[in-house]
Amino acid sequence: MTVAVPLAEQSAAFPRGLARYGRPAGIALLILGLGFLTLYPMAMLLYGSLHSTPPGMAGEFNLDGYANLASEENLQALINTAALSLVKTVLSLALAILLAWIVARTDTPGRGVLEVLITLPFFIPPILTATAWAMLGNAQVGTINLAWRWLTGGESTLVDVYSYGGIVWHMMQYSTPFIFLFVVDAFRAMDPSLEESSRMSGATRWQTFWRITFGLMLPVTTSAFLLSFIRGMESFESAVFFGTPVGIKVLTTQIFDLITQRAQPDYQAATAMGFATLALMFLLLVLQSRMLRGKSFTTVTGKAYSPNVTRLGWMRWVTFAICVAFFVLTVALPVGQLILSSFFQFFGFYQLDMLTFDHYRSVWENRQFWGAFGNTLLLGFLGATATMVLGGIVAYITTRTTWRGRRLIDILAWLPWMMPGMVLGIGFLWGFAILPHAIPIYGTLWALLLAYVALGTPVAVRVTSGAYAQIAKDLEECSRVHGAGWWQTLGRILVALAWPAFAVGWVLIFFGIMRELSASILLYVPDTEVLSVVMLKMWNGGKPEAVSVIGLVMLAMVLIFRWVQLRFIKRRISTL
Amino acid sequence: MQRRKVLGLLAASPAIMRSAAAQTDDWGKVVDAAKKEGKLLIYTASIGSPFHRTVIAAFEKKYDIKVDLLEARASEVRERVRVEQSAGRFLGDLHHNGATTTGLMQRDGNFQPRGFVPNVKNIEAPFEADDIKIPAEVISYCLLINKNIVKPADEPKSWKDLLDPRWTGKILSDDYRALGGGAVFFVVMQNTFGRDFHEKLAAQKPSFSRDIQNSERRTARGEFPLYLPFSLQNLNNLKGLPVKAIVPVEGRPYIRFDLSTLKNAPHPNAARLFMNHYLEIDSQLVFANAGYNPVVKDVVEKTLPEIRPLLATKAMGTTDFTKQDAMLALAKEIYK
Repeated sequence: MTVAVPLAEQSAAFPRGLARYGRPAGIALLILGLGFLTLYPMAMLLYGSLHSTPPGMAGEFNLDGYANLASEENLQALINTAALSLVKTVLSLALAILLAWIVARTDTPGRGVLEVLITLPFFIPPILTATAWAMLGNAQVGTINLAWRWLTGGESTLVDVYSYGGIVWHMMQYSTPFIFLFVVDAFRAMDPSLEESSRMSGATRWQTFWRITFGLMLPVTTSAFLLSFIRGMESFESAVFFGTPVGIKVLTTQIFDLITQRAQPDYQAATAMGFATLALMFLLLVLQSRMLRGKSFTTVTGKAYSPNVTRLGWMRWVTFAICVAFFVLTVALPVGQLILSSFFQFFGFYQLDMLTFDHYRSVWENRQFWGAFGNTLLLGFLGATATMVLGGIVAYITTRTTWRGRRLIDILAWLPWMMPGMVLGIGFLWGFAILPHAIPIYGTLWALLLAYVALGTPVAVRVTSGAYAQIAKDLEECSRVHGAGWWQTLGRILVALAWPAFAVGWVLIFFGIMRELSASILLYVPDTEVLSVVMLKMWNGGKPEAVSVIGLVMLAMVLIFRWVQLRFIKRRISTL
Repeated sequence: MQRRKVLGLLAASPAIMRSAAAQTDDWGKVVDAAKKEGKLLIYTASIGSPFHRTVIAAFEKKYDIKVDLLEARASEVRERVRVEQSAGRFLGDLHHNGATTTGLMQRDGNFQPRGFVPNVKNIEAPFEADDIKIPAEVISYCLLINKNIVKPADEPKSWKDLLDPRWTGKILSDDYRALGGGAVFFVVMQNTFGRDFHEKLAAQKPSFSRDIQNSERRTARGEFPLYLPFSLQNLNNLKGLPVKAIVPVEGRPYIRFDLSTLKNAPHPNAARLFMNHYLEIDSQLVFANAGYNPVVKDVVEKTLPEIRPLLATKAMGTTDFTKQDAMLALAKEIYK
């Protein structure tokens, strides 16, 4: 027999026996764990920003690091950074929503394949796409400009990637698929009856899209916007590659300069700049929280619905063309360059006598590569899984309970995303190195794993909390009324319904780990080398072609992962 | 006077011979102890260098001592060493880094005396060892031109030829305002030609980049006719491309890499043995054939014919770590 517990008590339910001591203990444990992963390295950095020397060196406490922030050069860098990030995020968001709508809610031909292809750019190491675009779009001898001059017979330049536009374009190739991955499943999880009701009540197609479709997706879109904007503020590769040659400075290139480009690295100024960035990002977070407060975004309810699609008629070929154009510009062109270059002795020199398989052979025979590949796969699987579990728990507590301490948990989980990666890497180095020697973290795979979990948690939390926000609470209540336990309800209702988001988050984090360099380079030791470090070595050793082979291996893995994932999700959705 | 010197030497010779014999005996003990240690961990700022691997492989084969490399950028290596030593973690044995970073770390007390290393006697001037460090190899900087764009008659002969208006807007360069090859070039030109040279070069509007490997490829593809300062040891990676390295008549700026034993190194004897191995002619020849200038005698003559004339050019000068940040500030002032 099942005894019904009043729903008010159940809403934030935990198993009864655990509720008295288990819940506070669990929350405390979670706060401790998150605190160690995020607050601890941040505390080290805060010390660094307030002390004239890094931890372990004699010095004095002062505010010099913060005082130096207000220079004209830094303010210009801040303006550049914010403007570049805002422009690329707005453009990427608009494009990603359009693409997600096309893929998830229309009868555009080949949607399944397009969904995989559209996301590919996100998984290519930025240094490779930057190299490819440098060859395609440089003003002097870029392929696009040469073709343009041949077509027009003139000497004018069509594109120049070494510019503000070039930086935005390169950043968009990462942020568009990133936001797309965030929103596409939210589009799919939308109950079309809400839109139908709107149409029945006299709203136009546009009004319906804006007020209902877009409105209901606000948690997901604002989360994606924020994550992408913040990531844009912290972006380094695009700015250093396309901005430095023409004197465009951003915050991360300033930080890079402070840490690595001086005889005497200025960690105080670099960490102070990191905290200034964090403070700005925190303001945005508060803004998002206020925007969403008190509103409901539930689309997945107990009522049955089928995620139907809009019949576009002949327009479906237009939408198809949009997707193909995006694929050609962001995938086919740069990846085509990579594939082509991997078979020639040198990047960009396509002569028959330079055809070779040497780069594939050199990677195949490289023991370092295989060691690092094994380590990275292990860290990727463990890291992505652990991060999603942690992110799922944090998201549950912050979105579906009224427990005390949940705001603190939310903030702790956000912190690593708001601090530029190259500064946070130093925080991990300082934090892990000074731990008592009996705690075997520094110099082991644990150091990398913990850093990766910390870095991935904000994505995991945003992905899952966006999905949770769409699931009606009455589904959980129904489950409990019908006798299911807390764990059963969690597994069979919440996790089952949010499964596509879990899968997307897992892939995002897995490939984030494969690419992560800032913390890896400071935490690895010879036995724990990871792929990003080996790629850096190859790049510096003058082997960009071998790096592109590894990039292609990563792309092949993405294709397999995404294919399996989408098949799995489809099967899950069809059985729900 | 001359006779007194000779007599003095004769009188001292038994003592010198005894001391040399003792050192040889001691060195035998060092080799035995190193083999017993069986391991060596080197922290290096020379990322992805295949030549290190070759020299290390020879050392491993000869002495049966396993060598691990921890490669990172100069400042990252320095910070790792600093924080590890502050935390009482003494993991690394040897440190291999540019002279600027090594000088700063020596000042900060991150090293311990290296002890007697027999091959130090072969080091060639102007390079020299001290109690802490030995010179390892030398990166020499020159010009890289695209042969398809720059006709032989137009090739720069002097560093001052860069100031010719024909190169305005056509120079790709490593950034002088950041630690690296660009900064070395800036310092040496400043010391040789003065500020006037830099002000005129700034008016040529050079395009700066920090991605050295990509800059070389950009020059080869014809985006720019000229790149500087080109690290001579990268020439091998560009074989087959339409580029040429030119050492101007005044000579080549250079930066020395040093080897030093880290404080409380767990394998100090293996570290000493590796230092000695590094100064062997065969090891230095590996670097010299790759385009690095060797630091010991009788190596340049044995290098490959195509690289020998470039290595035999005059060494112009290098940086001084005590003045490096002031020089970077000056570069920022001139190249806005």
